Amino acid sequence: MRFISKPSPDASRHGYERPSLAMAPDEWGRLMVAAQDGHGAAYRRLLSEIARWLTRYFDRRLPHGEVDDAVQETLLAVHRRRHTYDPRLPLGPWLAAIAKRKWIDQLRILGRAPTEALSDDLPGDLSAGDHETSVVSASVLASLLAELRPAQARTIMLVKVQGYSIEEASRETGLSVPAVKMNIHRGLARLTAFIEKTHDVE
Amino acid sequence: MSSDDLILNLSTDLAPVRRRRMPREAALLIALGAAELALLVGAGLMRPDMGRMIASPYMVWKLGSLAVLALIGGTVAIRSFSPTTRPLRGLTLALAAAVAAMIAGPFMTPGGEAGLTILERLAPAHGLVCATSIIVLSLPIMALLGMLMRRGAPAHPRQSALAAGLAAGTCGAFVFAFCCPVNDPLYVIVWYCAGCATVAATARWLLPRRFRL
Repeated sequence: MRFISKPSPDASRHGYERPSLAMAPDEWGRLMVAAQDGHGAAYRRLLSEIARWLTRYFDRRLPHGEVDDAVQETLLAVHRRRHTYDPRLPLGPWLAAIAKRKWIDQLRILGRAPTEALSDDLPGDLSAGDHETSVVSASVLASLLAELRPAQARTIMLVKVQGYSIEEASRETGLSVPAVKMNIHRGLARLTAFIEKTHDVE
Repeated sequence: MSSDDLILNLSTDLAPVRRRRMPREAALLIALGAAELALLVGAGLMRPDMGRMIASPYMVWKLGSLAVLALIGGTVAIRSFSPTTRPLRGLTLALAAAVAAMIAGPFMTPGGEAGLTILERLAPAHGLVCATSIIVLSLPIMALLGMLMRRGAPAHPRQSALAAGLAAGTCGAFVFAFCCPVNDPLYVIVWYCAGCATVAATARWLLPRRFRL
């Protein structure tokens, strides 16, 4: 199953272009081969390009506050597993598989993380800006929520993407606080299982 | 730490790495299985009538099925340690091959069990020893596959662990089949399956623990 999310009209203004691994995969492969042989400069260039791609990748799949962590976790995974890259193959699918795994891991961490109000201590303008960015950026995640039960999707969207507190989400949805927590926990577990099973989520 | 600082740290004083090679890992697995078999044969534990039985349909079925299952399991496991490979299709193939082997089993009866009850044919006391022997023989292979999995980059670690367990269990069962004196397909299906399933379940539970890509 493949999910094509509708491009946001603000996407170009915010710089959220669609991630593409078509950008010089052979060049990336060559840089990785050099890195495997111990060339630090080639590796630095490769990681910088990969980091930019990963930022765009996770921007569309995770709440805004999780993107930096996910990018750095993936860079560390690329570093630890760089010996597993086969130079006969393009680097893109290898990197995409690692990024997808890290996306799933990050969603699991998100499910275990305590849910706090994100916007309470922020100045009004900044809070509104972050809120908008979160909603726009996690477009793939938002489209995947359609796979969940409506109550699960709504509580995840409110608490994990839009930054509501559990109590605010409870008031908004009319569910009890334990029910909101349960819906988030079960919904994220179901979401990660779905992503794991699905070959290509876009 | 910013991503730029992290990149600088990771790329400073970068050491060359030895690339992962699947044929080398497969050769290690085969060498370990062969060493176990040589050890058992050297210790005089091979069944005494192997020379006579080796060409019988029953023994061809038993050894052939286990060899095929070990080959499929090992291939699926080692391939799955690469992030771009999904092991699910290979696991399905292994399951289908196991079912086909079990269906073929009853047609390979060498005779001798006529008139015995199911319980007598299963010989639980002896069967438990067989299953335990398979588990013990599988442990070094599971350890090797676990090490290879941790050195690799499986993007589906739980499925990879299951494939590793299946490979270890069937390799152990293949080695043990040279020693097992029982000539009853029902016995083989039940107790060998019990041994292999225990190993697969243990690997599925144990190998992904604390694994981090």
